[in-house]
Amino acid sequence: MTDIAKKESLPAGGRSRSRIGRSVFWLIPILLLPVPLFLDQYRQYVVNLILVYVPVGIGFNIVVGNLGLLAFSNVAFFGIGAYTSGVLALKLGLPWWATVLPAGIMGALAGSAASVPALRGVRLFYLAIMTLAFGELLRWVYIRWVPVTGGSFGMAVPKPSVFGLPLLTEGHKFYAFLFLVVLMVILTNRLLRSRFGRAFMAIKSNEQAAAAMGIPTDRYILLAFAWGGFVVGIGGSMYAALVGHVTPIAFDLTELILEFAIIMVGGLGSLVGSVLGAIVITSAPEFFRNWLGFQELLFGVLIVVVILFLPRGLASLLARLHPIFVDRYYRD
Amino acid sequence: MAALLELTDVSVRFGGLTAVDNVSLSVAAGEVCALIGPNGAGKTTLFNAVSGNAVINSGAIRFQGEEIHRLTPHQISAKGVRRTFQNGGLFAHLTALENVLVGLHTRVDSSFLGLLASAPASRRAESAATARARELLDLMQVGHVADNLASDLSGGQQRMVEIVRALATEPPLLLLDEPAVGLAPHMREQLGQIIRRLAGERGIGILLIEHAIELVMNVSDRVVVLNYGKKVADAPPAQVRADKAVLEAYLGHA
Repeated sequence: MTDIAKKESLPAGGRSRSRIGRSVFWLIPILLLPVPLFLDQYRQYVVNLILVYVPVGIGFNIVVGNLGLLAFSNVAFFGIGAYTSGVLALKLGLPWWATVLPAGIMGALAGSAASVPALRGVRLFYLAIMTLAFGELLRWVYIRWVPVTGGSFGMAVPKPSVFGLPLLTEGHKFYAFLFLVVLMVILTNRLLRSRFGRAFMAIKSNEQAAAAMGIPTDRYILLAFAWGGFVVGIGGSMYAALVGHVTPIAFDLTELILEFAIIMVGGLGSLVGSVLGAIVITSAPEFFRNWLGFQELLFGVLIVVVILFLPRGLASLLARLHPIFVDRYYRD
Repeated sequence: MAALLELTDVSVRFGGLTAVDNVSLSVAAGEVCALIGPNGAGKTTLFNAVSGNAVINSGAIRFQGEEIHRLTPHQISAKGVRRTFQNGGLFAHLTALENVLVGLHTRVDSSFLGLLASAPASRRAESAATARARELLDLMQVGHVADNLASDLSGGQQRMVEIVRALATEPPLLLLDEPAVGLAPHMREQLGQIIRRLAGERGIGILLIEHAIELVMNVSDRVVVLNYGKKVADAPPAQVRADKAVLEAYLGHA
């Protein structure tokens, strides 16, 4: 074991130091704990919305950024998660916390279903349009399956609660959401740093060579979609709890484009990037509120400018500031 | 000597084109068998057939006595047939170290749930693999570039890393597809020594596609010549060099 330790720290001088540096990340959620003390309900709502979009971005980024497939079914996983959470709470009377895991599992199942074209060898634009169709197909289900989903008008979701404690204020929701987000970040990070994450990246780089290394590529493509769907589905359950009502319009193509903007602006294939993208894309419209009539324009310009000057996303900017922000899985 | 790899009357057709036409050949453990022939002779197609990337229309491919021609590439790889690619098959998005770690993929005993739970067994498996990958890179004298992205390496370094990656699991059979392309003369010499050592010391059977004829003559125990998908010679290098049919096929009319 001493031999391993020596080998690990040998070639890259910064390796062991940056590992200590990375533990600084633990401070972030701790520093965020007092946030609700300083924010009014509306601002807290926006912060909560950011937290919703962190897992949504993370899940999307695994498939597009790490696995490298042009699959645009993310909004479907988001919707499935939100509807699962909503239906279980409304129809079965389950408390919100008990719907989170089922929402993730339904998201994973939707992810597995959405991976079928990719498993059949469909790639690039063909895969893009087929996965887009998958999202629209689910929207059709939300609209038509009225007894369960409430149709076009959607459904009101009961007030969320955790272990019998109702989440009365936005501040309460914030803590529940923060817990889930930190959990998803940690789990996904573990996965991406392991042979699983390396297999995703290998498939992105060269599928044929990945298979030649003994990697059952199909199984890993399925896994990336399923895990991505799981994380996004949990984001969906958070969305249902935050907004308190779930409608088909929330999961349309515009929504998908926003989610795509999150990972593009944040940085493809970067976990840090998914977080940054969620922060910027979700909060930017709030800053533009003062320029009435120009909000969409400013928002569009922001996205264009970031991608023009930082094609590798905000994650690359952060990486330039300090080596501890270098995301090992952001390469393009 | 029992054959490690045995091809019996293998044909591969693409539509009306017969890329590999009734070829039989065998590679024994510890033997370097070179596959030469003009461009389009079917060498890479034959490689692809062995590694499962091309479907054979007739014949049989056996590895260690077992039929492998119906298996998928990853299954064949897991059985111990490893290959390199003609145009550099390194994963450009990964570092040299991570490339070798992907090579070790089937030997890393970390499980999905074990990793999510950060179970000690899975963590140990990951760090042991990392240590092993560094060791292998050091062994081939490319340890100093372990943390560089594959796309940032020089051509020679890329070739070495690709060989390290292919050898990481100590496969009994190695398929090298034009490993000397783009290498400086002294690197070619080094490559030749490595190939000899792998066969001689570790007993690895090597099937080698190569255009650098000096390298082929120096390292091979046997040279198989393909022309228009057909085998036209199968003999020790010295004999092949003198073969008239080979000269005509491979070097044009002498």
